[in-house]
Amino acid sequence: MKEFLMLIREDANYGELSAEEMQACIEKHYRWVETLREKGQFKEAQPLEAGGAHIRGKQRIVSDGPFLEGKECVSGYYILLAESLEEAIEIAKGNPDLDWDRAVEVREIMPMED
Amino acid sequence: MDTSGQLAAHFFREHSGRMVASLTRVYGMAHLDTILDAVQDTFETALIHWRYHGPPDHPRAWLSQVARNKLINALKHNARHGHATEAEFPLHALSTTDPDPVLADEAPTDGQIQLLVACCHPALSERDRILITLHILSGFGIPELANALQLNREAVKKALQRSKAILRQKSLKLGQHAIAAVAPQLPTVCTILYLLFNEGYKATRNSRGIDFDLCYEALRLTKLLRPVATPEAEVDALLALMFFGVARFPARLAAYGDWIPLEEQDRSLWNTSLITEGFHYLDQAQRSGYAGRYYLEALIASHHCAASHFTATDWKTIHDLYQLLENIEPASTLIRLNRLIAKSYALGPLPVITELATFTVNGSPGAAFLLAATKGHVYQRAGYTAQAHTAYEEALSLAQNPLDSQLIRKRMETSPRT
Repeated sequence: MKEFLMLIREDANYGELSAEEMQACIEKHYRWVETLREKGQFKEAQPLEAGGAHIRGKQRIVSDGPFLEGKECVSGYYILLAESLEEAIEIAKGNPDLDWDRAVEVREIMPMED
Repeated sequence: MDTSGQLAAHFFREHSGRMVASLTRVYGMAHLDTILDAVQDTFETALIHWRYHGPPDHPRAWLSQVARNKLINALKHNARHGHATEAEFPLHALSTTDPDPVLADEAPTDGQIQLLVACCHPALSERDRILITLHILSGFGIPELANALQLNREAVKKALQRSKAILRQKSLKLGQHAIAAVAPQLPTVCTILYLLFNEGYKATRNSRGIDFDLCYEALRLTKLLRPVATPEAEVDALLALMFFGVARFPARLAAYGDWIPLEEQDRSLWNTSLITEGFHYLDQAQRSGYAGRYYLEALIASHHCAASHFTATDWKTIHDLYQLLENIEPASTLIRLNRLIAKSYALGPLPVITELATFTVNGSPGAAFLLAATKGHVYQRAGYTAQAHTAYEEALSLAQNPLDSQLIRKRMETSPRT
């Protein structure tokens, strides 16, 4: 079994969602994660704070990071369990975030060499 | 919350109104904007966290805690930046360790009623009252309001700003007046809730037909008023009317979104438990001994709901009830036309034709449309196909929304031209 990092990218404009849409979004995710758990395809997931810092180069230049308002940025991550990238992609396609036109990125986590 | 991580339907909406009510009671109407922002922010935080881990065990407590912390931080921030003076709002009074004002609020309903009365303040126009009520008590955001009431976002934003300024200016000190003092305001509040329900029900501007969310909110807010209701406010009658209305939703719209007229509706689609609920409130209203506008309308709706087929409708009684309504509201075109329609079914179309010929309406295009559509239908049933066609053509030119036009076109198809 291999581990895959799934990053969620979205432009966080939640003010456009109605109360019902927010509830629907939560419930769809919750149910989806439950089915992943049942199939043994879920390891963990966490949301990320919107703020943060971007630090670059030898000069250690610190900026507010790529978290500009209205721009797509990483809002959270999942660690999925799958046999292959193809399987991980199929799992990721089930992510309800895609129904809200967000984007996800799936990357295999390189296993440590023994 | 049940064990499956499922939140109750409308949980966010209901809790939104409740939190705003409790927080304005404790921190004052002067901070309404900050409170609304904190509450909206709380739901966004809930969205971000709960979609990863599901709702917490005690979602209400979680939301209240987060909202209060956000509000206190915002108030402290405002105070530091000179938006509020220390005297106006002593910073030491802001402590997150105090009892949670939302959870500690022993009379959450009272708070919401007072807020509802404030939102229905006569200084605001009817439209503004509907907008601010939905915004403050039901958590409708600007895009949602614009969509539901078919207004542009800028207009909604301006209306809300205007209303909030008036609410602050009136410096409504919620919680200081006994809840009983709201009684004289209740009829006005009921009028707004009635209009709100109709806004959702009558599809005046919305091509989607029935807007369930608006109707549901109107029902929920009307229910809130029950503990303080007076006979004149007709709260139970209004509830009965709303229940009889929502019970028939599934049959009113076809799968492809067209209106289905009463005579063609599949009555097996009517929701019998909602109809039962309607009769329960109608019974309660009857006990109050006050027969006002909502009671008569609810009674008419109950006769439609009780008829097993269109042909089994008690049109004679319905006609008489419309007559009583007309006595109360002589200026309403809708009521006068409905009385004539009832009469045309009770006695046949011919006796109504002469009355329709001399029928005049006020200048509104909506009223003119109703008259033309009614004329077409009555002429058609009387076999006056040429006149029916002319009336339908006129109705088409006056139609206010695509569903109305569609209904008229369908009627024209069944009316052969001579």
